[in-house]
Amino acid sequence: MRRTPTSPVRRPGRPTGTVPAMTMRLNPQAGEAIDRDDTFTFDWNGRSYPAYGGDTIASALTACGERIFSRSFKYHRPRGLLTASHLDPGCIVQVDDEPNVRGGHRHARAGSRVRSQDTWPSLRFDVKAANGLVGRFLPAGFYYKTFIHPQPLWPAYERVLQRFAHGGVLSAHTPAEAERPRYDKRFAHPDVLVAGGGPAGMAAAVAAARAGAQVLLVEEEHALGGHLRWGGSADLTALADLRDQVAVTPGIEVLTDSVVLGRYEGNWLSVLERGRPDVHERLVKARAKSLVVAAGLIERPYVFAGNDVPGVLLSTAARRLVNLYAVKPGHRAVVFTANAAGDAAAADLERVGVEVVHVEDARHGGDLVRVLGRRGVRAVEVAGGATYSCDLVVTAVGWTAPASLLTMAGDVPTYDARAARFRPDTARLPDDVLATGVVVGDGDLEHLLAHADATGREAARRAAVVAWAWRTALPHRAAEAPPGTEAATRSEAATGTSAATGTGAATGAEQAPDADPVDVPDLPVDAHPELFRAGTHGIVDFSEDVTSQDLLTAVDEGYRGVELVKRYTTATMGPTQGKLEIVNTVAIVAQALGQSIQETGTTTWRPPYAPVTLGALAGRSREPVRHSPMQLWHERHGAVPLVAGAWIRPEHYGDPAGEARTVRQRVGIIDVTPIGKLDLRGPDVAKLLELVYVNRWSKLDVGRVRYGVMCADDGVVLDDGVTARLGDDHYLMSTTSSGAAAVWEWVESWLQTEHPDWRVLVTPVTTAYASINVAGPRSRELLSRLVEGVDLGPDDFGYMHVRTARVAGVDGCVLWRIGFTGELSYEVHVPAGYGLHVWEALLDTGADLGVRPFGVEAQRVLRLEKGHSIVGQDTDGLTRAFSAGLDGLVKLDKDDFVGRPELTWQHEHGDGYRLVGLRPLDGSVVPAEGSQLVEDGQRICGRVTSSRRSPTLGYSICLAQVAAHLASPGCRVSVRLPDGHTVAAVVTEHLAHVDPEGVRLRA
Amino acid sequence: MILLPCPWCGPRGADEFGYVGESRVRPDPGSTTPAEWRAYLYHRRNTAGWTRETWYHRMGCRRYLTLERHTVSNQVRSPAGDVEDTR
Amino acid sequence: MPDTGTPVARSPIATAPPEIVRAGWAVSGARSGAVLTLTDCTPLTKVAVKAVDEQVLATVLDVPFGRAARQDWGLDDGAQVLVVGSGPGERLVLAAPGRQTHVVDRLAQLTGDALVSVVDLTHGRALVRLAGGGSARLLAHECAVDLGEAMCPDGTALRTAVAGLATDFVRDDRAGMLSYLLHCERSSGQYLFDSLRDAGVELGAEVDGFVPPGI
Repeated sequence: MRRTPTSPVRRPGRPTGTVPAMTMRLNPQAGEAIDRDDTFTFDWNGRSYPAYGGDTIASALTACGERIFSRSFKYHRPRGLLTASHLDPGCIVQVDDEPNVRGGHRHARAGSRVRSQDTWPSLRFDVKAANGLVGRFLPAGFYYKTFIHPQPLWPAYERVLQRFAHGGVLSAHTPAEAERPRYDKRFAHPDVLVAGGGPAGMAAAVAAARAGAQVLLVEEEHALGGHLRWGGSADLTALADLRDQVAVTPGIEVLTDSVVLGRYEGNWLSVLERGRPDVHERLVKARAKSLVVAAGLIERPYVFAGNDVPGVLLSTAARRLVNLYAVKPGHRAVVFTANAAGDAAAADLERVGVEVVHVEDARHGGDLVRVLGRRGVRAVEVAGGATYSCDLVVTAVGWTAPASLLTMAGDVPTYDARAARFRPDTARLPDDVLATGVVVGDGDLEHLLAHADATGREAARRAAVVAWAWRTALPHRAAEAPPGTEAATRSEAATGTSAATGTGAATGAEQAPDADPVDVPDLPVDAHPELFRAGTHGIVDFSEDVTSQDLLTAVDEGYRGVELVKRYTTATMGPTQGKLEIVNTVAIVAQALGQSIQETGTTTWRPPYAPVTLGALAGRSREPVRHSPMQLWHERHGAVPLVAGAWIRPEHYGDPAGEARTVRQRVGIIDVTPIGKLDLRGPDVAKLLELVYVNRWSKLDVGRVRYGVMCADDGVVLDDGVTARLGDDHYLMSTTSSGAAAVWEWVESWLQTEHPDWRVLVTPVTTAYASINVAGPRSRELLSRLVEGVDLGPDDFGYMHVRTARVAGVDGCVLWRIGFTGELSYEVHVPAGYGLHVWEALLDTGADLGVRPFGVEAQRVLRLEKGHSIVGQDTDGLTRAFSAGLDGLVKLDKDDFVGRPELTWQHEHGDGYRLVGLRPLDGSVVPAEGSQLVEDGQRICGRVTSSRRSPTLGYSICLAQVAAHLASPGCRVSVRLPDGHTVAAVVTEHLAHVDPEGVRLRA
Repeated sequence: MILLPCPWCGPRGADEFGYVGESRVRPDPGSTTPAEWRAYLYHRRNTAGWTRETWYHRMGCRRYLTLERHTVSNQVRSPAGDVEDTR
Repeated sequence: MPDTGTPVARSPIATAPPEIVRAGWAVSGARSGAVLTLTDCTPLTKVAVKAVDEQVLATVLDVPFGRAARQDWGLDDGAQVLVVGSGPGERLVLAAPGRQTHVVDRLAQLTGDALVSVVDLTHGRALVRLAGGGSARLLAHECAVDLGEAMCPDGTALRTAVAGLATDFVRDDRAGMLSYLLHCERSSGQYLFDSLRDAGVELGAEVDGFVPPGI
């Protein structure tokens, strides 16, 4: 990835000093990934350092001779590079405001400010390194043992311990929108997703694409190539050839600097895309028809005394530094090798002028004993006692198969003692997951590419089978097959539930794909010495500072299993998440338990495979919001917004009490668009209404409106609203605002699952109409100025009637005369596009009548005065109809309605609370909603469900749920306020505090 | 995320659906007993294995559908299917 | 009767300036030649048809569930209607603005005695057209359904979640250019539009005004 040279951005006042020279930089190397024409500087702990384009933070610093990048987690030992890759536990740094950046991977950027993390006062002299001096007092489980008692002190301990914990610093200030890193999400539907862009991954991708598959090739490094990138000339030739093939083969999308985080059911793969110019991180949710895991191998560190001293490198790290970044990792090296990678590292070092003073060969019984030195390697002692003075120790002791994605797919890797590593058991993989490359077996490049080629073709073939099944399950591709028969069967095959092969005969135009599997050759497995720990103890988990001695201590203390030892010591629980240390951990635990490695097993790999920011997981925010057609008007007129579910509604326009008084005295209008509306048509609508409502519907005349209550089958009140009969077979049902979606689904469920023979057609029309409630004694006068085609007189358009009319020039408006507020009122449903027009017309036309808008709060007050309950506020998830003041409504003599059996029993037993009106004796006290009612000073006997100061009456009023024996008018109850005081209150005669006779709304 | 085979729309991610629950038969409300009715309301078999359940395709065709799902493996099949668990 | 002016219908999506009135709707007069455009097509006539029996609709309207097709219903301006197989037993007819009566009458004629429900949802849905080669890439940010040619060819109709919102979806290429019509419940129209615009920033998407007949 080329970067445009940019001049370093300088912040004023930052110390820079002299720029160090790249003393360890080599002459150009054949496969180097740096761009020597692109030079820039960046800051490291306050000092300016030079770098080339393509340098990682670690390579740039190492090129200048820096060797210490962090302090270790527990003992604060100086740490340098180990893997020189994304995994490197020794080079996790802070970059500008971003903490925990993998310095072995992240490219250095011009002008960026990089700091070591959690080193105080400085990286060179770290106070907490004192922990190392008292290391024997920090054994396994130290924190658990020491700080768990006395427990109340734990929070205090925690605060202190946090200062000793690793981790970067999050900036306290929120950056401006434009400076904020952008995070994103997208979906992808590759036929084949190849996880790993080394030689096998590239070959598999090319083979799959040539077979016609759309391929997503995901590589964690900045470029494709895997180990070929830091190989010799033959490797580089092979790499160039493979890259060419990837580039010219159509159908391959390459994501570098990206990683597959996890595999979930149905080959749902989360891929983290990093380092793009436009977005900081992007989460790709990929539904792959086949997954090919070509994850390669991770080199394992060796456990011996001093194995974490800066200057001890893995062979791959040494080769990466030399060949990718042209950086000399040291001057005098000792190489401990058990395999070809170690031999190649020794050769590379010699070639670039590092003096290789000794090669200790494990294949001939060689071993390491200890490294001498603290801030850097001074010498190393090998088996037999010889000590070599050196500044670099390179180890090549074996590999770990990163089988993470495979185990997430159900694989259980088994330990192969001959190869000295866990190997996946590919026979256990589901059909949609394949594996290739060195994660599976060994062999020379030719073997691996042949295996990858066959695997890629087989992956494409299986993907085609799935694609065919998915395609033919689509309605427009299988229109001839009615649901429940063939389409359903195909669809089922499509979800991978049947075997991916043999999904039945192809019908129609679609041709079934090739059913013959590709013959994938076996890969050989090379013998490798088993090397985990030398005779001395050293670091096992470099991130968590867990030593081999800690593991033995844990086993001694009775933690006799690797999962327990892991949790006790925290081995494998740090940022490297076991990728470097798991096999050593298992081997050491196995040895301590006197078991084989296979018996000891391994820990579970879970997603995410690599660290992911919360920003990437959040992505772009997706929270649907809903607005009425009058929303902009509300905003411009000072409405205080109320978030009600997805709806944004005006809570009030500054004076809720005044708004309520306007309605009682003159006329107000409220935007009630969110009220749910269902258009119901068909000859069986009445049957449906009888079923879902507890009250009777058989005798509703055309032009009439009726209030109804729905219960669930447990008798609990579900929703309420009015339903109008617009024609013989045509009804308009309204629901509560919050219940609109649920009632629609409820009605559909009864129609679809219990009564599919009923002929009812339901169309939700909630937002097809803007709904405006015109309420108050002068509402008729106001509306009559705008309505054409309907006489609004009380005799022609009475209470609980419905009419269609032209309002303010808008045809097709539906008018209901109902009264939630307790006043004479009309609910006007206007085709939504004209909502604002009618709203403004009402306000303009009624100015002389004193009309003003009112919000949800005034409406709540008004309906409370009127004693109208709100489902979900005056009822809860346990309130059955007879506890909701609905005694007169429930018709138990109907044949059936939802909830009837439970309500019959409730009626018989008279159990449950009752909904009552309640008036505190001290009218100035408004008990908070939810306040408990208590009896005998302590026994809870109910609760306040709604409470307000009534602007009409001038004192506080409530609705309450109260025990049946206290529900009679005149009963005294005590209300326990949140502050602990109690106030006395009396149960009122009616739910309504204002106009219980309903004179006003029938005016 | 599991794919559910919607008989109408084809395979879709499970997040498009609402999970209604184990399929149940509503007792005759005219003759039911409290014990039977409450078993219908509250008792679930919670099988570790194949279970028949109702889903609602909320983001798609808005149809209620019955599926069989293996609660351990999350394999899904149509209720009429005779697909054996081959894993 | 006080003069309240001629009613002008409004989309839930705020019009990009300049605002002009066309076919009785306030629409954006903005014109964009960008390779990827978003157009608020809410003024189009939208009539929902439902039947208990899917087969009835598939037969009389000659468009199966899952497909969309243009038909000539003899509108006086010659514009076609787009019949969308939006759900099992559910169709949506899209026509030029102001054609409700014509569409409803024609549907009554086509369906005859069959039990159908015809509901004018012109005001109940927000409708957006996305046009340009990058449309599928834009939608891949917000929509989990595979929009590839094999799964979603021209003329596909489906409903799925777009930006977390139940959205109807028609692939409706224009003159060989990739294009989608998306519609959702009116109240979430602005949200849908904003989500698409946000996802389209990196692809250079611009807002283009609605021009009748627009179908």
